[in-house]
Amino acid sequence: MRSPFCYPPLGQHVKPLTLAAVLAVLGAAPGTARAADPGQPGGAKPPRDPAQIFATTCGWCHHQGGRQAGKGPQLMGTRLSDGEIVQRIRKGKQGFMPGYEGAFSEEELAGLVRYIRGLRPR
Amino acid sequence: MQRWHEAARRAALAATVALATTAWAEMHGGDVTHERIREADKRAGDWLTYHGTYKGWHYSGIDQINSKNIDKLRVAWTHAMPRSVRGLQSMPLAANGVLYYSGSYNQVFALDGASGEVIWYYRQKLNEDLVSKQTHSPYNRGIALGLGHVYMGTLDGKLVAIDMKTGRLVWETKLIDSERLTVGFTGAPLFVKDKVIIGSQGGEWPYRGPIFGVDARTGQEVWKFYTVGGNDGTQSDARNTWGNDTWLTGGGGGWMAGGYDAETDTVWWGTGNPAPLYDWSGADWMTAGARPGTNLYTTSVIGLDPESGELKAYHQELPHDAWDYDSAVGEFLMLERRGKKYIVHPNKSGFVFVYDRKGKVQNVWRLVKNINFVQDIKTDGTLVGRRDLTEGEHKNLCPFIAGGISWNAGSYNPRTGLYYKVGNEWCMDLTVKRTVPILEPMAQLNIGADFSLVNPQGEKAHGRVAAHDPLTGAKKWEVRFPEPPLASLLSTAGNLVFVPDARGILRALDASSGRELWKHNNGQGHNGGIISYLGKDKKQYVAVATGWGGLAGDDYANFFGPPFNTFPKDSGVLVVFALP
Repeated sequence: MRSPFCYPPLGQHVKPLTLAAVLAVLGAAPGTARAADPGQPGGAKPPRDPAQIFATTCGWCHHQGGRQAGKGPQLMGTRLSDGEIVQRIRKGKQGFMPGYEGAFSEEELAGLVRYIRGLRPR
Repeated sequence: MQRWHEAARRAALAATVALATTAWAEMHGGDVTHERIREADKRAGDWLTYHGTYKGWHYSGIDQINSKNIDKLRVAWTHAMPRSVRGLQSMPLAANGVLYYSGSYNQVFALDGASGEVIWYYRQKLNEDLVSKQTHSPYNRGIALGLGHVYMGTLDGKLVAIDMKTGRLVWETKLIDSERLTVGFTGAPLFVKDKVIIGSQGGEWPYRGPIFGVDARTGQEVWKFYTVGGNDGTQSDARNTWGNDTWLTGGGGGWMAGGYDAETDTVWWGTGNPAPLYDWSGADWMTAGARPGTNLYTTSVIGLDPESGELKAYHQELPHDAWDYDSAVGEFLMLERRGKKYIVHPNKSGFVFVYDRKGKVQNVWRLVKNINFVQDIKTDGTLVGRRDLTEGEHKNLCPFIAGGISWNAGSYNPRTGLYYKVGNEWCMDLTVKRTVPILEPMAQLNIGADFSLVNPQGEKAHGRVAAHDPLTGAKKWEVRFPEPPLASLLSTAGNLVFVPDARGILRALDASSGRELWKHNNGQGHNGGIISYLGKDKKQYVAVATGWGGLAGDDYANFFGPPFNTFPKDSGVLVVFALP
C-alpha cells in the first residue's frame, strides 16, 4: 500500500482524458465497467495530489489556497486537530460546508491534512 | 375593406377567447394557463411566473402603493419558512390572491395573500445524504405555476408537480442522476404551453448541463438539450468545439429560469460557464489548455423550440469563457421600440447584451465600471483584448468571481422606459492551477484556481443600483451602496423601485429620479425575490424574501465585516407590506 504521505508531484495526473475513461467513470457507455474507486480498498488509482484537490474543490470557499478566509475560514494555522480536520471534511457543517464522505480516499484525506499543515504565507 | 372586416372579426374573436379564458380561469379556481401568462399584463394583480410575465420585466402594473403614499407602507404580515438553511432565496408567485413560495430543502407554502394564513404546506422527501454533500444547496430559488400545478425542481434531480389547491404531490420525475453528478435543481422552472422547462445546476460540475422539457400534465420527459456540445448527431452537435473530448465534463448548466418570446415561440435560456472555471491555456485556448476550443454552448444565450427542444438560435456571449462570467442570468427582457423588437440579457461579466428576436447582437453596453478581463466588447458582440490566463498568479482580475452582475433580477418599468439593475464593483487575485475533473465516486466542483476577493484599484468594493436605457445603456441615475445588493429589484406603476439591500434594509426609490422615499429594516440580509400582487381583498401587497447565506453573500462576513458576520444563516422570513 502506498504511504499516505507520499504523493506524486503536481501535474502527474494532468493528462488529457480519453473518451473511454470518462465514459467509464460517468457510466455513460452501456456495458462499460466503472473505473476503480480510489476510495475503496483495493482501488487501483493513486491518490490525487492534495494541492490539486484543493484548487479543484476547496478553493471556492477557502481563499488563497486556504491561507485566507473567504466563504469559509482561513485554514492556515488552524487550531483543529488532524482528526477534527478529517471529520470536518467528511461531515461538513450544515449551512456552511458540504460533507465529502466517500469523495476522497483515506490517503487523500491525510494528504489534505498535510497540505493544510504545510500552508505558509505567500 | 373586406380585409379590414376580416381583421376586425379576428380581433373580436381573439377578445372573446381572452374573456372566455379569463372567465374559465375564474370558474376553475383561477387555473394558470399559457394563455393567461401570455396575457398577464392585462391582469396586473398576479405574479404568475419567475420573471413576472413572459416579458421578463419584474414589473407590477398596480399603483395603489405609489410615490405619494409610500410613507404609510407598513408590514402587513410575515411568514417564517422552517429549516431555512442559507436563507430565503426564492421568488414568490401569486395567483388569484394566493401567494406561493418555496424555501430550502424544497419546501413550498401556499398562503392567503392578504392575511398570510397557511392554505397548505408541501415538503419534498429528499435524499438528505446527497444534499449534505452539495455545495450549492439546500436553497431553492423558485417555482412555476401551470395547469393546476406548482412545479419545482428538487435538490436531488427531480421535477415535481404539486396540486395547486391541496398541496398534494401529483407526479415526480427523476431527470438527473444526482447521486453520481452531485448536482440537482435549485432554479425555478418555466411553464410554457404544456411543457415545464428547467435547467440543471452545474457550471463548475463536470457534466453537460442539460435543459429539460417535460410534459406539464404527465411529468414525462419530452426533450433534453445538452448545453455542452449540443445534442449528438443533430444540427446542434458542437462537440468539436471541445478538444480532447472535454465536452464530456464541460459544465454549462443553465441553472436559472429563462424567458419566452411568445411572438416567435422561442424559449430563451442563459447557460453556465464551462468547467474548469479557470483555464491555464493563455492565448492558445483554441488548441491548448483544459478544454481547447470555443466550448459551445456554454456562456451563451440559446433559443429553443418549446415543443421539441431543438436549437433555433444562439449567441455565445463569451467564446471560451476562461473567467466564469457566464450567461446563466435568467433575465430576458422582451422590449419593443419604434416598431423594432429586442431582447435584453445581462451577462455576469457586467456587460449587457441587446439582441433582436432572432438572437443577433444589436448592441452591448457596460453596466459595471471595473471590468478588465477584456478591454472591451464591441457593439456587435466581438471581444477585444482578452485577458486569457496562464498557470500561476494573477492580480486584480475584474470583476470578482461572484460577477459584475449576479443571478438575481433587475426590473424594467414601461412607464419610465428605464431598466433598474444592480452592478457590483469588485475584483479578485487568483492563482490558476491545472486540475483534472473529479468524477468518482461523486462528481466534484472543478474550479481550477485559488482566489480571493479584493478591492478595485483606487477604491473600495461597492455596489450600485442604476437606471439605464435598456437598449443604449444611457444612465439616468444611480444610487451607491457600500456592499453590492444581492436581491432582485421590483418596479411598479406607482413610480417606485424597491431595492432589498444586503444589510436587510428594504428601500423604495422614486423610479424617475432614484431619490429614496421610504425604508424599512427587515433585520437580516436580502438574497432573493420581491413581487407585488393583489390580495383577495383587492389590496396591493409587496412581498420580499429575507435571509442570508447565499454563495455571493458568504464572502461578506469576512470581507465587509459587520453586520454580515452577525447574520444568521438558518433564517428565512417572507415579509409582506401593505398600506393601512
